[in-house]
Order: sequence, then structure tokens, then C-alpha cells
Amino acid sequence: MGLKDLFEKDVQELERDGILFSTLGKLVAWGRSNSLWPATFGLACCAIEMMQSTNARNDMARLGSEVFRASPRQADVMIVAGRCSKKMAPVMRRVFDQMPDPKWVISMGACASSGGMFNNYAIVQNVDSVVPVDVFVPGCPPRPEALIYAVLQLQKKVRGEVFDQDGVELPMVEGWTR
Amino acid sequence: MTVKPAGYQALTLSEERTGDFETKLMRINVGPQHPSTHGVLRLVVDLDGERIARISPVIGYLHTGFEKTMEHRTYQQVVTYSNRMDYVHSFGHDLAYVLSAEQLMGARVPERAQRIRVILTELNRISSHLVFFGTGILDMGALTLFFYTMREREQLLDIFESVTGVRMNFGYFRVGGLYQDVPESFEHDVRAFIASFPKMLDQYSALFAKNDIFVNRTTGVGVIPIERALEDGLTGPSLRASGVSLDFRKAQPYSGYEDYDFDVPVSTAGDANARFAVRFQEMRESLKIVEQALDRLEPGPVRDPDRRISLPPRNELETSMEAVIFHFKLVTEGFHPPRGSAYVPTESARGELGYYLVSDGGSMPYRVKVRVPSLMNLQSLESACVGGLFADMVVNIATMDPVMGDVDK
Amino acid sequence: MTTETAAAPLGPLTERVVESLVGLGGRLEREPFEVRVVLPARAIVDAVRTAREAGFDLLSDVFGIDWLRYPGHQGPRFSVGYNLYSIGHGERLFLRVDVDDDEPVPSITGVWKAATFVEREVYDMFGLRFSGHPDLRKIHTPEDLEGHPLRKDFPLGETPTLFNDGRFLDPAAFRAGMIGASGGLTGWVGGARKGVVAEQVDPAPATPCAGATSADEGER
Ligand code: SF4
Repeated sequence: MGLKDLFEKDVQELERDGILFSTLGKLVAWGRSNSLWPATFGLACCAIEMMQSTNARNDMARLGSEVFRASPRQADVMIVAGRCSKKMAPVMRRVFDQMPDPKWVISMGACASSGGMFNNYAIVQNVDSVVPVDVFVPGCPPRPEALIYAVLQLQKKVRGEVFDQDGVELPMVEGWTR
Repeated sequence: MTVKPAGYQALTLSEERTGDFETKLMRINVGPQHPSTHGVLRLVVDLDGERIARISPVIGYLHTGFEKTMEHRTYQQVVTYSNRMDYVHSFGHDLAYVLSAEQLMGARVPERAQRIRVILTELNRISSHLVFFGTGILDMGALTLFFYTMREREQLLDIFESVTGVRMNFGYFRVGGLYQDVPESFEHDVRAFIASFPKMLDQYSALFAKNDIFVNRTTGVGVIPIERALEDGLTGPSLRASGVSLDFRKAQPYSGYEDYDFDVPVSTAGDANARFAVRFQEMRESLKIVEQALDRLEPGPVRDPDRRISLPPRNELETSMEAVIFHFKLVTEGFHPPRGSAYVPTESARGELGYYLVSDGGSMPYRVKVRVPSLMNLQSLESACVGGLFADMVVNIATMDPVMGDVDK
Repeated sequence: MTTETAAAPLGPLTERVVESLVGLGGRLEREPFEVRVVLPARAIVDAVRTAREAGFDLLSDVFGIDWLRYPGHQGPRFSVGYNLYSIGHGERLFLRVDVDDDEPVPSITGVWKAATFVEREVYDMFGLRFSGHPDLRKIHTPEDLEGHPLRKDFPLGETPTLFNDGRFLDPAAFRAGMIGASGGLTGWVGGARKGVVAEQVDPAPATPCAGATSADEGER
């Protein structure tokens, strides 16, 4: 097929030939959503379930999210797995700041999301007050399946397929701006 | 501080030039967010070239205020908290707590409940050691074993889930017994596990115990001599790897451990390899205990029938006013142990674990002090690491097997 | 403190050690489940050394207790407990010193390095100072936390639970209701959640009629 065909043929015809049309933004978002690399930020019990979600049975690799990066510089999403103490909060913020844009946060477990059963002097009652959270996962600890569901939700968000409370479609994250 | 390490001379150009060089210790920070510190351990290390001159753990990044919170919960509610401390060996913490509380209360636990407790605790010990192997060897750069051990761990988690309803953080033991009896499938599941697991252990041992890379990486690394171990307050498998045969399941049997026939693996080498080997043997011993306990599992009640501790059976509530009153008292207040204190040492997967409870006669503990093994064991890190290579530090942390929830409380 | 039904037995090693500890000014207390020697603060280092040399070779723990709210407690506000174990003999011995707020406790780190972390923990949690400790810093709590969490007058620090419709639940007030300090949200004035009240009511055998009385009280 020559370049000329691109201008002469119909979209449907081209699609039949295996050529898809998209915007660059959509393409980038599609690629990005399927390779969300988490930063290891295991804090407590939930981290063990986070580990389990990469094992043979649950296999988070299917979603392209199994590569836990030790360095925040190489990560897209931070999974806050476990209770975050007030001593840890500044460290967490710092790790988050070190991650390159665009970046997302999953708050895993009751403790990270709301303090859970530890309503006391030592624990941050909602990590949303430290880092902006995109997806909250309930459970104590959430099953690996729940974490995988959260990653799926996050993928939707990255691709711009989510709606806010009023039913307005939220824009996807732009690929080339910071 | 200026130091001249051994071998320093060989690196310099000539005798006259050495005066110009000044060698300093380099201080580097590891953690708290670091893949091989098992959570949120932070270490400040002074390096002399490649060798560690000083190492000091900085902890508290997971301080959760357990002890304070427990003082504000009734005795039965504390069970929800204890297992979240050491989330890898949850049943061990639950058991330690309920034993202390039962001692205070004078509760008599039915035999069936004790057997089930032992089975679950030992299975949990295996699953804890599986995490230890998977992540420990992962830290050395071998990825494969992690997937194998996690596969077996899933099998165990399935058993736990069928019994308790959750995969981790069970809260299944109660002061005076168990929450409820185990399901019918329990015995079959556990027997299936006992049948299949030794084969897996052989596979693991073929994979790493005889693996040259692994053996060379661990032998002679991080040696802790007996005297240092006792000076540092080390307990558990790491102490047994240094040659002291201290296991509270044998030394002060609790929960019917005296009935079972098992060995306590001990090694005298005291190095990282010995710490791996001791834990490896321990899994086989645990399996023995589980099998014996399962053989002796008789049907029966799983809760102390004492009305002061356990709720009356449901059907009695309709006929007996007294039952209603006890029910009401237990639900609104909980029970009241007499004044005094209790401490029952147990052997968790990491070492001596015990709850020191002080009761003031009220329905919440006046003071809960948890003697956690990981905190004390962490002090041995210095003995193991100083003088060794920086790269071996990771091996030493892995073989100490600290769980940060246990360290920071 | 407790009425002695059956005090914990004294092993041969413990008996020997206790004898020499009493020589240091200690007082033997035998409770149902523990053998404890209460010592004056200045003697603790010698006491630990004596015990260690005699055969208690494992320092299990060092812990603090704050007696502020303990019903009927007399004497200094804090205690520091030492938990020793003898591997060879299988015996356990508790030592204890009673101190007041501003009194430093001699550190036993010179005798036993294992005490380093746990003494720091007691310092952090109770604010008790250990004289002679090489590195007395906070260990668990963040640098900027003021106060010492395990003191009884340190609040648990709960945040209220907020509901969507604007109602909120203050856990501290809720529990105050349950321990009998106030009516709380349930209106149920707890009979005996805490030891103080348990003194006046009948504590242990919750007889049906005692239960009924406190239930009646709740309705009032
Ligand atoms: S939510 Fe539950 S499992 Fe997760 S960190 Fe908190 S206590 Fe642990």
C-alpha cells in the first residue's frame, strides 16, 4: 500500500487493511496505561499482599504492572501499601516528589486510606493528605484481586475513560505536557 | 577520623606519596525506602572502603502505637491488633497474647482448641519461613525461588482462609479458645499439604542449598559468635544458628507442645548459611508437629465454657435470663481478670515473643508490653555486619529476618 | 498485691540469686505467675551484673510501667522492669525499680549491650532518663512529637469520625461513656470498664445480680 492510499481510501477500508487512526495522545495513553510500573513502597501487612499479587496465581504481569522499581525515578505509580506513620509521611512525600510526571498513587488498604483500626497519635489518618491519591482500595488487607482491580481502574483513568460524580468525562493525562 | 585499612598500602603508588592521602569513613544512608531492607528499616552505615566500620539502625518508621491502642481496647478486642504487629507470623502473635490473657484470667482451653492452635501456628511458621526464603534469596539476586515459595504460600493461605475467612491478619484465636471450629475440609486440606510439601522442600534445597553461588555468598558471612549473640539478646532461629539450643516450645512448653515429638535444629557455624539452614530444617520439624497434632485431633468443644469468658450459646438466650445477663455484660464490658501481671514466653518464627500484661481489675489491660523478637534481634546486625563487606549487609539483614511491624510496634 | 493462692515456684538458681539481690537491698515479691525482686534504683546495675554472673544469660526485655491511673497505687509513679531468663536452668526472673519522673535510672548497657534499644524505647515512651546510656535518643516516635506516648496522661490522639451527613463520632468521648467517666453517646454509664469502679462493684464473679444492678444503673 502506498502513501497515496492513505489519502484516497476510506477510513473503513484502511481499517480493514490493518491501519488504525488515533490521536497521538490516545496512543501514548494506551501505551502508558499498559505499562504502569509501581514504585516499591511497601510499608506493612498490605505489602505482603502486594508481593503476592505478582506471584504465579495472581500474576499482575498480565497488566504490565509487575515490575516493581526500587528507584522512584523509574516508576509511574506509587502503591502505598500499609499504614503510614507520621514519621514516614515526609519520606513518602519525598519519594513521590522524586517520581517523574505523570504519576499516580494507589492507596492500598484501610490504614492508608483512612487510618483503619489505628486511630491514634502515630498513624496518618489518610494518605491523601500527604500525596494525591487516585484509587483507594478497601480491605485489611485487600486481596490481590482487589489490587489488580485497582490497577485496572487506574488504567481506565489514564486512558480517560472515567467520569466524575456528575457524569462528566475526565480528560486523560496529556502525553507531552508536564 | 583517619583510618588506614588493611590492604591500603598496596593501593598507593609509593611510600612517600601516602602522606598526601587521607582516607575517611564514608557515611551512607540505606532506606527507609529500599528494596532489600524488608520494609522501612533505615540504616546509617559508615564505610571504610568496601568494609563496614559502623552500622546503626534507625527505626520507628512504622511505629503504630500498638501498645497504647491496646490499653484502650477490651481483652477480647486486643486480638484484632496483636496479629497486625507481625503480619508474617500472625498466629504466633495471637497465640502469645491469648496465652498471657488466659493465664491472667485462669481460663482452661479445651484440648481441641489447643491442637488447632498448634496446627495453625506451625503452618503459619512455615508460611513465614517461606516469605523469608523467597525475599531473602531475592535480595541476593535470585528471582526464581521467590515464585516457588509464594506458590506454596498461596496453598497455606487457602487453608487459613477456609478456617478464618481472611488470608492474613486472622484474629481467629480468642481468650479461652477459638472463634469457632474449623470447617470440615480442614483436615483434608492440611493432609494434602503435608503430603505435597516435602517434595517442594527437596526442590528448594536442590535449587539453593546445593547451589555454589548461594553457598559461596553465604558461608562465613555475618558470623555471630555465641557470646556476641547472648550479649545482644538474640533469640530464635538466628540464635540457634549460633549454637544455642533455645526454643521455648521445648524450654517452657505451652499450648501442649510437650506432647509432640520434634527436634530443634541447631547449627554452630553462626553464619548466614547456618541461619538459612536452621530455618530450612525448622520447616520440616513444623510439618512433623502439624502431622502429630492432626492425628490427635479429637472432636470436642473449642471454647472454654466458663461464662465469665465466653458468650453463652445462642439457644440459651431465649430461655435463660442469666444467659442474657452474661451475654450483655460480656458484649458491653468484656471480662475482668483479677489484678496482677502475666507473661508467657512463646517461640515465634523470629524468636522469643511474649506479652507482658498488667491488669488493674478492669476490662481493658492496664499495660501491654510486647516483647518483640525482631527489635532485639536487630541489635545483632552490628555484630554480623561490622568488618564485613557492604554487599554482605543485605544478606545479613535478610537472614536476621526482621519484620518491621514487629520492630516498631 | 494479689491474694496469694499459689505463688510462682522459686527455682534453685533463682533462689540463690534472690538471696544475693536481697543483700543489695532488694525485696522479693512472689506473684502467681512471676517472681520479682524490687530494687532501689542505685542497685540495679549491680543486681543485673550479679544475676548475669550467676547464670541468667538472656536479657529478654526492659520495659516501663506508668502507675498514674492504677487504682490504689502508692509510691513512685513509674516502674522499670527487667526480664531475665536463664537458658541453662529454664528460669525467669523479673527485676523492678520504682522511680519518679525526674529520677534518672542507672543504665545497664555497661553490663549488657542488649539493653541499648529497649532502654531507648523506655526513654522514648515514658520519658525516663537512663544515666550512662551511650546513645539516649528517641527510637520510635518522630523527632517532632512532644511528650511520651505511653504515659497515662498522653491522649491516644484519635481523630473524630466524620459522616457524610455532618454527624461525627468522637471516639474518646464515646469511650469515656464506656469507662464510666460520662454518659457518652450511648447513655450507658459503664459499670466496671476500668479498675477503679471494679473495686467498688464486685469484680471477678459477675453474679447475675451484680450484673443486673449495673445494667439498671445504665438505664437511669
Ligand atoms: S489495612 Fe490492614 S493489612 Fe493493611 S496495613 Fe493496615 S492493618 Fe495491615
